[in-house]
Order: sequence, then C-alpha cells, then structure tokens
Amino acid sequence: MNEKQNLMDKLDARRDTIAEKLASREIQLPTDLISGVFFLLLGVVGAAIIPYQVAVSETDVINGRAFPTLLMVVMIICSVVVLIQELYRVFVKKLPMTMKPVNLLVEVKALVILAILILTYLICRITNLFVVGACFCCLGFLIYFRCRKPSYYVVTLMTAVLIWVAFRFGLNVGF
Amino acid sequence: MLEYIVPALEHLFNLENFIWINLGVFIGSIFAAIPGLTVILCIILFLPFTYKMTAIPGMMFLLGIYCAGGYGGSVSAILINTPGTPHAAATMLDGHPLSQQGRTKAALKIALYASTFGGIFSALMLLFLGPQVAQVAAQLGTAEYFMVCLFGLTIIAGISGKSMIKGVIAACIGLLISCIGSDPMTSYDRFTFGISRLYLGLDLAICLIGLFALVEILAKAEKKPEQLILDTKRMNDNGVITKEEYKRMMRPAIVSSIIGVLVGIIPGTGASEASWFSYDRARAMSKHKEEFGHGSVEGIAAAESANNAVTGATLIPLLTMGIPGDGTVAIMLSALMINGLNPGLSLFTTQGDIMYAIMIGLIFVNLFMLLQGKCLTRLFAKVVSVPQEILTPIIVIFCFAGAYSVNKNYFDVGVALVFAVIAWLLRKLDMPPVPILLGMVLGNMTETNFRRALLISNGSPTVFVSSIYCIIFVVLIVLAVTTLVRSRLKEAKAQA
Repeated sequence: MNEKQNLMDKLDARRDTIAEKLASREIQLPTDLISGVFFLLLGVVGAAIIPYQVAVSETDVINGRAFPTLLMVVMIICSVVVLIQELYRVFVKKLPMTMKPVNLLVEVKALVILAILILTYLICRITNLFVVGACFCCLGFLIYFRCRKPSYYVVTLMTAVLIWVAFRFGLNVGF
Repeated sequence: MLEYIVPALEHLFNLENFIWINLGVFIGSIFAAIPGLTVILCIILFLPFTYKMTAIPGMMFLLGIYCAGGYGGSVSAILINTPGTPHAAATMLDGHPLSQQGRTKAALKIALYASTFGGIFSALMLLFLGPQVAQVAAQLGTAEYFMVCLFGLTIIAGISGKSMIKGVIAACIGLLISCIGSDPMTSYDRFTFGISRLYLGLDLAICLIGLFALVEILAKAEKKPEQLILDTKRMNDNGVITKEEYKRMMRPAIVSSIIGVLVGIIPGTGASEASWFSYDRARAMSKHKEEFGHGSVEGIAAAESANNAVTGATLIPLLTMGIPGDGTVAIMLSALMINGLNPGLSLFTTQGDIMYAIMIGLIFVNLFMLLQGKCLTRLFAKVVSVPQEILTPIIVIFCFAGAYSVNKNYFDVGVALVFAVIAWLLRKLDMPPVPILLGMVLGNMTETNFRRALLISNGSPTVFVSSIYCIIFVVLIVLAVTTLVRSRLKEAKAQA
C-alpha cells in the first residue's frame, strides 16, 4: 500500500515539475489579426467552393447559392473591417496590437482532456458498448483530477452505469 | 381564447405533467445552483429525454428547468458569493452581503418570492400577449420575416462578446452551418462533401452539445478544481421578512418584471441584460440608494424578478414567429417542432388547446418552483459543494449519450466533438458562441424567407423596404446598431 502511495506521490511530483515549467510559458496571441486573416481566408475559400458544393438548376432566378454567397461576402467584409481596425490601431494610433495571453499549461491540459474525450469516443465506437467507454471516461477524469478518494471512484462509476441503464432501458437507446 | 382554456386544462391536469414539471424544476434548480453549470447546458443535456415525450410533458419538463434555472443561480450567489448562472450576478451584489449580516434564509426567501412573482407575471403576459402578437405576425410576409430574423441576429451579434463585428462573423458561421444538407427549397445537397450522413444536415442538439457543453469540459483546463465549501449553519436564521421590507420589495419587483418582459420579447436578449438593467433602475428609483451593494432587499427583488420575468416573454417571439427570445429557448424550439408544433398563428388556432396548456402550465411551473424553493432550499444549497471530479465525467457521459441518442449513431458523437474543438478555438479568438447558436436556429427561416421574398420581387432587393413592417424593422436595426456602436465607443473611451 505504502509503495503504491509512494509511486503515486512520485508521479504527482513529476507532473507538478512539468506543470510548473509549462505554467511559466505564455504566448501572446494577436487575436484580432488572426481572426481577421482566418475568417477572410474562410470566406474566400468558402465562396470559391460554392459552385462545386451547391448544385443548382439553370432556370432558378434565386438559387441555393444566393444565401451562402451573401454570407461569405458579409464574412469577408467583416474580416476586412477587423483587419483595418487592427492596422489602424497599430499604425495610426500607435497602440499595441490586441493580444490575448495563452498559457501553455492550460493548452496542454485541454489537450489531455480532449484526448480523454477522443479515447472515450473510440472505445464506445470500437467496442459498440457505451458503458465501457463511460467507465473509461470516469476513470480518465478522476485520474486527471488526481483523485485519491475511493468513494469518488465508486460514486462516479455507479452513476455512469446508471446513466447507461437510463438511456438503454428507459429511452430504448441501443448502445 | 376561452374556447381553448377548458380543453387546455384537461390536457394539463394529469399526474404525468406535474411529475415532469417538478422533475424539471428540481433538476434546473440543482444545475443553476452549481457554479459553472448553466441552464443552457442543462437543457441541452436533457433535451434527448423529451424526444420520446409528447408536446405538453416535454415542454413542461424543459420549462421547469428553464424557470428554476432563473432562481437556482441565486442560491450560490447568496451563499458563497459566486453566481450559479451569469444572470444571478446582479443578485449577488446584495444577496451575499445580506447573508453575511446573518440573514441568509431571508435573502433566499426574497430571491424566491421575487423570482416567482416575475415568473408568474411573465407567464400571464405570455398568455395574454402571445395570441395578439401571433395575429400581428400572421400579417407578416416573407420579406418582413427576413427582416425580423435580421433584427434578432443583429441584436445578438451586438450584445454578445466584446466586438460587434466578431458577433456578425459568428452569426454568419451559424447561418452557414444551417446551410449544410439539402436545400430547403429545391432539396439539392449543399456542403456535404460527399458525406452521406450530412445530407439531412447537422442536428441542432448535437452541435449544441459540442458548442456549449463539451467545450465547458475543455475549459476545465483553465480552472483548478476547487471545492466550494458551504457552511450550512449560516442558514439557521429565522428568515423573517418584515412588512416594511415586503412593501419596499413591491415596487422594484413590479417595475423589474415589466422590464424583464420587455427585454425578453426582444429577440436575442436575455436574463442577464434584464437583471442588470432592472438593478440599475431599482437603485435609481430607491429612497435607500445607500443600501445597494450592502444587502438591499430592493436590489435582490429587482434582479430576481427581472431575470425570471424574461422566461415567459422569450417564448412570445418563439411561439408566434419561431424567433427565440434567447439562446436557451432556441433549443426548446426543436422540442416543439419534433411534435409537429410549428410556430405561428396556426399554433394558437389549430393546436390552441396544446398551446394554452403549455402557457397555463408555465404559471404552475412557477408555483412548483416556489414550493420546491420553500422545502428544498437546504438541499439545493448543499449541492453547491458537489466536487468537480464527480461532476465532470458525468456531464461528458450525458453529452455522449445525448448526442448518440438523437440518430442512434456514433457519427453524431464525433460531430459533437468536432464542434467542441471549434468552440474552444473560437473562444481563444474571443468569438462569442451565442450568435452561432441563433444563426443555426434561424438559418432555415432566414434563408427561405430571403429567397422567397426575392423570387416574388423578381430579384429586386427593394422588397425588403416595401412595407411599413419592413421599414419599422429597418429603423429598429439601424437604431440598434447605432446604439450598440455608440455604447462600445463610450466604453473604449472610458478605458483609454
């Protein structure tokens, strides 16, 4: 028991060291500049693929392309406005660019959570047994939160099974 | 109207409906009481349960969650100075100080009574105004409907997030997502990229699970899982509210309920705007301004009655025109439509008995909220301290099960995951998610009316200023944009 405890303490200490290193690293993200460029590109690419992705009849006056085209145009105009606002701010007003700090630790943690979600999805899909994925999900998150209380594991796993039972037998969802 | 009341009451008064109302109120109160869990998340998670129900119990369940969410958020705001839901933030300003003065039970009671008052006032407004608005809405043509959608989208793009332009881009994304699948007028497929599962489009509930629920799980990376400890001994005061205090509560409660209804009717706005605006009005009108921020009963009454007065009012544009008053009721639209209830005047005539049952049911939802609030507040308070370690995986399992159960395939779970990642990236770029939701909800209606109006006018855009209703909406849009831009400029100047 003590050996297990020591091993977990060691693992936690290691994770803490890595976390400390990552927490101190911060990237400044020029949000408005990225938004402007990204949605401008999205609008242009979207407008370019409309003829290939939206089939229309030659006789239609207002066809299925009209509305998506309008949206792409609005998106392009708005993106250009965002870019102009940002450039005006930097070059005319001589103010710093709109930045948002992005902490590396937060992003790595988000990736770990995303990995748990994707693995849960894959387990459900491959085994075709939702309850197995649900139990994995519980264990994954409890380990992520470094939970050491056995009662939490019991409560969470029981709830996971109960949710599966409610959907499987209450709502007749076959999974 | 009267001819529908008796059959409506017959539909409403059965054990099943009352069980679902109470279950909804219970779940809504608990979700709203836990900081970090929102009413919108709760409705998204429990929406799949309503797919198997008929219209009345399904809507009663969702309305129970929605209304109780208005009150539940105040529990944690008062007890631990952390609003359970964003719209309870105004309640916190006076609720928590009053609790610190040793009057926790009194603060909770004021919040409960004010919420019930606002909720019933709003339900009555829905009952009397709904059919009238539906008659006006019946006179609107395709061009007018397009302008109404545009108005709703403009407001939501303007008020959510820091930048109006980013809000517009987000609304465009939502509208574009609604274009995926078969063309609503010709049935040709659009943006399917050869994926057969996309021919029927993306289901709203599945996208919302990703956009609003799973993204909150990713956001756990931003916070440390702190345990919110509640000292329940603080709830041992006698909870007495004096006659003088009741008198002082009345005026702000009435004024705030009116404000809540007016704000709720405007598409795209919601309880947060109503509660802050009402709180400000109550302070301006009060003879005891100095008490605001230090445990004013008027402050709590104003904020709480306003945020619950929004609940019925948001249903007015939803039921009459299909335009949701806020993001939460936008989700309820799918629960209505799955039962063949399409918003509009016909809903109040051909299916008047069901509609009136739902509207009268809203009054009972508020009454049961009062009852549960009186009996179960201590339990709701204890729930505040449920650890995140337990809650997080349970929410994920609900999300996955909910996404799967819509079409019974894992492709949808994958779609929900993709939307969660998109929402996470958009969050990094300060893009608000609510305009995306409204864009997705209004997409079909906006496009269909846009195209029909242009077809009628042979492609002439003057059709959008051809009637008095169109001109009114153009003026409203211009006014809204001007006001929003001016307030943003003021904010920017103040910050500089």
